[in-house]
Amino acid sequence: MTATSAQTVIAPTRARTAAAGATVRRKQGFQHGGWFVAPFLALFALFVIWPLLRGLYLSFTDANISGDATSFIGLDNYREALDDPLVWESLGHSAYFTLLVVPCITVLAFLLAMLAHHIERGKWLWRLCFFAPFLLPSTVAANLWQWLFNPGTGMINHVFGIETAWLTDKSYAMLAVVVCTLWWTVGFSFLLYLAALQGIPAHLYEAARLDGANAWHRMVHITLPMLRHITGLVIALQILASLQVFDQAVVMMDFLPGPEGSTRTFVQYTLEEGFTSYRVGYASAISIIFFVIIAAVALARMWLLRNREEGGR
Amino acid sequence: MSTAAQTRVNTRKAARRTSGRATRRPWTPSQIVLTLLGAAVSAVFLAPLAWALFTSLKSETEAVEVPTHWLPKDWTTQAWSAIFETGNITNWFVNSLVVSVCVTAVVLSVGALAGYGFARTEFRGKGFLLGLVMTGLMVSPAVLGVPLFTTVQQMGMVDTYWGMILPQCAPAAMVYILYKFFQGIPRELEEAAFIDGAGRWRVFFTIVLPLSRPSLAAVGIFTFIASWNNFLWPYMVTNNPDLMTMPNGIATVMNSYGIQWAQLMAGGLMAGLPLIVVFVFFQRQIVTGVAHTGLAGQ
Amino acid sequence: MGRPGLNRRQILAGLSGLTVAGSFGFAALGTGADALASGADTRVRYWNLFSGGDGYNMIAMLDAFRAANPGIDVKDSTLQWGSPFYTKLAMAAAGNRAPDLGVMHLGRVTGFSPGRLLDPWDAGLLAKYGVREADFNPELWKRAVIDGTLYALPLDIHVQLCFYRKDVLKKAGLLGDDGRMVPVTSVDEWFDVLKEAKQATRKGLQTIGMWSADQNFQWWFFVAFYTQLGGTWFDDAGAEVTFDTDKATQVLEFLRRHITDGYVDPGFAGGAGAEQFVNGGPFVWEGNWSVPVFDSAKLDYGATPLPPVFGKRATHAESHAFVLPHQSDRGGAANEAAHRLAAYIVRHARQWAGGGHIPAYTPTLSTDAYKKLNPQSEYVSAMDHQATEPKVWFAGSTGILAQRVGPIVVSSTMGSARPDAAARRMRSTLTELLAMKNPMDGRTAAQGGAVA
Repeated sequence: MTATSAQTVIAPTRARTAAAGATVRRKQGFQHGGWFVAPFLALFALFVIWPLLRGLYLSFTDANISGDATSFIGLDNYREALDDPLVWESLGHSAYFTLLVVPCITVLAFLLAMLAHHIERGKWLWRLCFFAPFLLPSTVAANLWQWLFNPGTGMINHVFGIETAWLTDKSYAMLAVVVCTLWWTVGFSFLLYLAALQGIPAHLYEAARLDGANAWHRMVHITLPMLRHITGLVIALQILASLQVFDQAVVMMDFLPGPEGSTRTFVQYTLEEGFTSYRVGYASAISIIFFVIIAAVALARMWLLRNREEGGR
Repeated sequence: MSTAAQTRVNTRKAARRTSGRATRRPWTPSQIVLTLLGAAVSAVFLAPLAWALFTSLKSETEAVEVPTHWLPKDWTTQAWSAIFETGNITNWFVNSLVVSVCVTAVVLSVGALAGYGFARTEFRGKGFLLGLVMTGLMVSPAVLGVPLFTTVQQMGMVDTYWGMILPQCAPAAMVYILYKFFQGIPRELEEAAFIDGAGRWRVFFTIVLPLSRPSLAAVGIFTFIASWNNFLWPYMVTNNPDLMTMPNGIATVMNSYGIQWAQLMAGGLMAGLPLIVVFVFFQRQIVTGVAHTGLAGQ
Repeated sequence: MGRPGLNRRQILAGLSGLTVAGSFGFAALGTGADALASGADTRVRYWNLFSGGDGYNMIAMLDAFRAANPGIDVKDSTLQWGSPFYTKLAMAAAGNRAPDLGVMHLGRVTGFSPGRLLDPWDAGLLAKYGVREADFNPELWKRAVIDGTLYALPLDIHVQLCFYRKDVLKKAGLLGDDGRMVPVTSVDEWFDVLKEAKQATRKGLQTIGMWSADQNFQWWFFVAFYTQLGGTWFDDAGAEVTFDTDKATQVLEFLRRHITDGYVDPGFAGGAGAEQFVNGGPFVWEGNWSVPVFDSAKLDYGATPLPPVFGKRATHAESHAFVLPHQSDRGGAANEAAHRLAAYIVRHARQWAGGGHIPAYTPTLSTDAYKKLNPQSEYVSAMDHQATEPKVWFAGSTGILAQRVGPIVVSSTMGSARPDAAARRMRSTLTELLAMKNPMDGRTAAQGGAVA
């Protein structure tokens, strides 16, 4: 609303801009913008670029946490990482988590958004209920579900009348983390879907209705195609976030890697190597490997997006 | 972006109109089914929070009683008074507030300047720097925690507020969002002002900033939520309980007391409720803020 | 959205402006608050890792010390237990920002580069404040000495215990005339006890909780029973693995049998074991720090060291000890005050024992006040039968050894690996660890590990 009012105020000013010599001044106005970006670049260089370069440098050394007496050891860390079963295991856990979370969240968020969109009364209430968990800190959500999954006194087993050892059985531990994550984060994707649903022009539906399409047809032929873009976004954001899972897993497992190490995620392993084993050099090397993986996923998405756009046109 | 914002404004108006009509419409069978379904799903979503609340109102012994039960037999606020008396919870609350407010303020000012700088001004190496920022999108404390930590350690900022705040203040994503937003503002508005003799900075402060209030609010809200709930970085960089933020303190200090579920739940609610209460009052702004920020990734 | 909106907006703007300003002020101050503290008299900076019940005891003892020594200002910081604590202490010592006094686990001292990250204690100063070697358990003192120099001053011993509920055991006829659990000396006797206890247990509760899925506890229990069998880890030079897979298999089978025979419900394989105990389960194996928890639940219970089922008595033990983190200019009044403070706390450990720990200072143990503590006096003998991790750089509380080997023990106890296979895996992991270089000095256990 502010945008529209500001525009109406400015519009007359624009009418006065006929002067020919103005081009020069206009150009000057847009030059020398370095000062605008300088503060950000300073922070960015210190806390993003420098750690990245430093990590790259450390990954070729045997640095320890005290920071002294490091020597250059070439590719040894990377060689060791490729042979380290825990690297592959923890990477597998993070991937497994991602594989479970991403489809579930996407479908669930879509269904919740459809529900909230189509109920005519009390919209704010549904929005509040589905979104509220997202406002909790990850650690609170994790403690909450640790308590819900607690054997004997927890509500999950009580309500469903089962005796599953969610947190101490290695085949269920990761599932427990997944369930907690679904509850905690689905609200974010839900909001994205809801915003997208509200953005679909109503006349499309009205036209379809006139053509005699039923609700199912309208969903398959209008809603789903219109949501394709947002689905791609939701999936991409979730993949990137899920690969970096850490908080819920460690808090639910009391800062241990879970039964028989079954919930040790990749992030957790890098921190273990860096802060428990004091092997900063090695931890940096596996962090760099992780960075490459994340970057590959992000670049793959950008590439897919560009291809699709070009193909669409 | 501004067109997108406008369509959203329009659809919101349209939605309000339809819902206004809806209240007068009778309950159709499908609406009854949908509403019941919505209520059931909501109950599932809220049940864990209710369970936490009831647990926090039990005594520690009753909390772990088998078989378990929903409502306390003896209602007691002992867990709540215990966390205020013995814990550092008020300390952590202040720390969380200080850190989140500082992060939000810095991100907004620095991000707005940088977004505008990238979108609207020319300087040498801009293309390269923009590419660098895009790389930054893939760096986070989760990905490069150990090198980031040693960097902050070198600066002597471990266990300080600045050590917690500053590394959260360079989010490439927020700059990118604002950059795309500023690109969407019609150039003519600024050009007109330049011709009138206004300087770059005046144009920025008097024309561009007021125009971008909704976007800034979105970024600010999102940053605040993210910072308030941030666990990983404060966890890595602080050990002193006096300096911990809420999520960190709850997870590390309270957990180490042993089996005190009632207190843990009370503490968790203390950490989670402020944002939820704020949400109830500023729902529309927060929803558009989060959706807007998320959608900007398209 | 009309007039009231404007007002509200102004108020909000004002408020948020104030908050922002206040926050920045606070953040700016926060880094410097430490410097504002008094600098008039001798100041001791002291880092410890005691939160919860331990923390209250420590704070009370510090207050007593301050009252007795008005000339010394103690600035204490409680840090979080676990790996982060050691990381931070290591960094502070390496960066020459170390506190004057610190606390760590005795098993960690070897891996903490004594001499580089830790400074030695001054025996003369300690004697001046009333602490002599003769007042300590010799085993404990030996672990604190590295290359002939004292690097740690033991404060306590904390052990793994077998907690039992007197009410349940009485019903099962397992309580002796002295009101304590009947002694157990073999595996068969132990399972007979469990069998009878099970019959007296309320339905829906497990007979014994033993953290079957927790890599730390299972490792500690393994260490205890493996030591009972007389098992060893490495040769003295730290060059060869002497781990006995047959003995290890025996221990692993013993641990596993609790589940296969139905005394442990794998559903309660974590901390919920203690909750089962509070609800009326007869046994739980826990650290002695659970004493205050069970006290506050007002249970009628006792606690003995882990049963000597393999003949020899031994239970896992670790110790908190005071250390002097490395300062390049250590000495002077602050150093002397650090000695005085550590000596004071070690000698006044009666209050510390309330948290369940066994004081390392033996004269405390013979006081009447200590003998009256229950169940502390019941398990005090555990200090003479300590089962500890091997003295190598990768051992110690939450150290690399526990992190690598603990999960293997769990995999056997929980049934996902056969005990003999798990024992072989433990051996090969130990071999790998022995070949590993200590990241702090680049030497393997054999190269730099000939400690003791």
